[in-house]
Amino acid sequence: MKHLRSMAALAFVAAALNPAYAQTGKPAEIGMGVFTFTSGPAAAYGMPGRNAAELVIEKINASGGIGGVKIKPIFVDEGQGTDGVVAEFRRLAADSNNQAMIAALSSGNCLALAPVAEQLKMPTFMWNCDTHQLFLKDRYQYVYRTNSSTVPEFIASVLYLLSVNPNIKTVAIINPDYAFGRDAGLIFKETLKALRPNVEVVAELYPKLGSPSFNTEISRLAATQPDVIFSNLWGADLENFVRQAAPRQLFERSKVILALGESVLQRVGTLLPDGVIIGVIGDGWWKSPHAQANAQAKDFIETYRKRFNEYPVFPSFKMANTLYAVKAIYEKALATNKNRWPTREDLIAAAKNLKTETLTGSLALREDNDGLVDQIVGATVKDSAHPFPVMGQMVRYPASLLTPPVGTDPIAWIGKLKPDMLNTLPKPGAYK
Amino acid sequence: MSSAYIPLIVDGLADAALIFFVAVGLTLVFSVMRILNVAHGSFYALGAYISVVIGLWLTGRGGPVLGLAALVISPVLIAVLLGPLIELTLLRWTYGRPEALQILVTFGLFLILEDAQKLIFGVQPYSQDTPMQILGITRIGGIVYLNYQLILVLMAVLVAVGLRLMLKRTRIGKLIVTVVTDQELAQTLGIDSSRVFILAFSLGVFLAALGGALASPTVGVAPGLGSETIVLAFAVAAIGGLGQIEGAALAAILVGLTRSAAIYFAPEFQPVAPYLVMLAVLLVRPFGLFGSIGLRRI
Repeated sequence: MKHLRSMAALAFVAAALNPAYAQTGKPAEIGMGVFTFTSGPAAAYGMPGRNAAELVIEKINASGGIGGVKIKPIFVDEGQGTDGVVAEFRRLAADSNNQAMIAALSSGNCLALAPVAEQLKMPTFMWNCDTHQLFLKDRYQYVYRTNSSTVPEFIASVLYLLSVNPNIKTVAIINPDYAFGRDAGLIFKETLKALRPNVEVVAELYPKLGSPSFNTEISRLAATQPDVIFSNLWGADLENFVRQAAPRQLFERSKVILALGESVLQRVGTLLPDGVIIGVIGDGWWKSPHAQANAQAKDFIETYRKRFNEYPVFPSFKMANTLYAVKAIYEKALATNKNRWPTREDLIAAAKNLKTETLTGSLALREDNDGLVDQIVGATVKDSAHPFPVMGQMVRYPASLLTPPVGTDPIAWIGKLKPDMLNTLPKPGAYK
Repeated sequence: MSSAYIPLIVDGLADAALIFFVAVGLTLVFSVMRILNVAHGSFYALGAYISVVIGLWLTGRGGPVLGLAALVISPVLIAVLLGPLIELTLLRWTYGRPEALQILVTFGLFLILEDAQKLIFGVQPYSQDTPMQILGITRIGGIVYLNYQLILVLMAVLVAVGLRLMLKRTRIGKLIVTVVTDQELAQTLGIDSSRVFILAFSLGVFLAALGGALASPTVGVAPGLGSETIVLAFAVAAIGGLGQIEGAALAAILVGLTRSAAIYFAPEFQPVAPYLVMLAVLLVRPFGLFGSIGLRRI
């Protein structure tokens, strides 16, 4: 007991002598877990996120950190599987130096981590979780989505499709076989059913995530001859699909929607013909008018290009926007606390109803902790300035029009959409 | 036969060809050395990676036709460099030891090779699709196929026939068969079984790397390719009967056609299709289609 008292006294004196703690309780630096895929086929999507985190954290630290406190990122590879990711999360949360988590990329991992974050009272900002199931049944205090959900993301695909091809009769779907792919398939079908009830779904394929070959699926799609093929394949899967489908003329036979297509535009070069509908599941397009008008975004794009020899793709912006949003939350909490370093509870309180500018537009966090982000959709078009197609004929759908209100069942809400909704929305080409 | 089924069969056979290259190497190594080589999938992935790298280099210097040479150079390089090295340093030590230990050693090797690939090639997918482009397309049943896919089927048939002829007609093949049949007797006859082991293992590595190299123009070469492949190769080898070349060929066709049929008629079963075939076969023939108790032949 005597020893315990001495140690407590020593700790108190040490804290009092530490100038950083003396006035504001500010640590010299804080740890931040950053979860993404850096291995496996998903790394093709995860690494641009990691690269962006590296760059943004360097930038924040170089300009003095958050309120004078530097960020120390601890990168966790989601390629190790959900059990490993959860174990890593628990390990990092047990260290009081780690004050926030940027997690995760995979919807499956997000669904597993959310209750753990709540249990451990760890502020967690989900940078790339799209599944609408995240806040469907459970209410969380410590979990925020600094990103849009599958609902506005894939409603946007349908709206764009119907704006450019209003008379379609048949569609086929090829999505990855897990929560994200299945959710997207359901939302796409339900939106079509609400807006064009006569459209028939002639094939639904859900190949395993990480499949190296889609050749048989491509034959099946070609045999079905649908007017439209919708896909939310991503990462190496998407690149493989494009490389295998393009020489087999799939893009010429059907109108193809690649909802996450922007992430592979630079890698597949001229394989994609003009007119393929491309999405960024959010507003993170480096050539968007918002990004090009934002000096901080232009600096990020240029620094990224110089360091990684390519332009940042939308996962990079999801990560960058999340980190800047977390910085804004800390700054809000510091202002509320009169510059006293926020506790975890202060942080989540500051996140509530946050509205902040991002590199590519804005982010609003709702009362249910879900994020509101606009949706940009476009179509591939050749650009003489680049050896790859870019997005042309863009539209930017406001988040508020595509996102179900708090507390509503999203699928039931989609069912109530009316075909005349299309008349009230901006048209392809309007965003320039 | 309805013309609607023709694409299904073409897809199934093209898939089977790729599966066969990996499974036959695995089964050959098992038949000679009695080792379940978990690292076999890594040789497939390495074959694909190195073929892409060499292919891009050759295409850049001598045009697309020269790039085709990478499909052969890559597996030869890997077999010559890694085959003897791994057999002499790692596998030789495990002969006669418990199977669990052999599996652990090859699994350790698999993990090392997987990480080595990430270290050398990074995590972004690689691709070299020039071979597909220069060979053109063919329409079958109204569907566009790459001629390269069809050539793969022919290549698989050539490899199966060539392997059988090599084992039956050539001196090296006869030596391998003798060692497989009775290693002690082979040694008393003056056959250097150690050299036969090196040769057989290197041949297995070559076949895996050849599979990877030939697949590389049509599939994405990315981390995880090796693990994806080895699981399927084990299933195919088990269906055919471990150590059976013809068994591997028939099993590859069965699995290829079943996967293809699943995608056409019941897509939700596609991921489990190979394992349903394995389950069905092993329930009826626990040693595989061509396997038998106590009989060692290849």
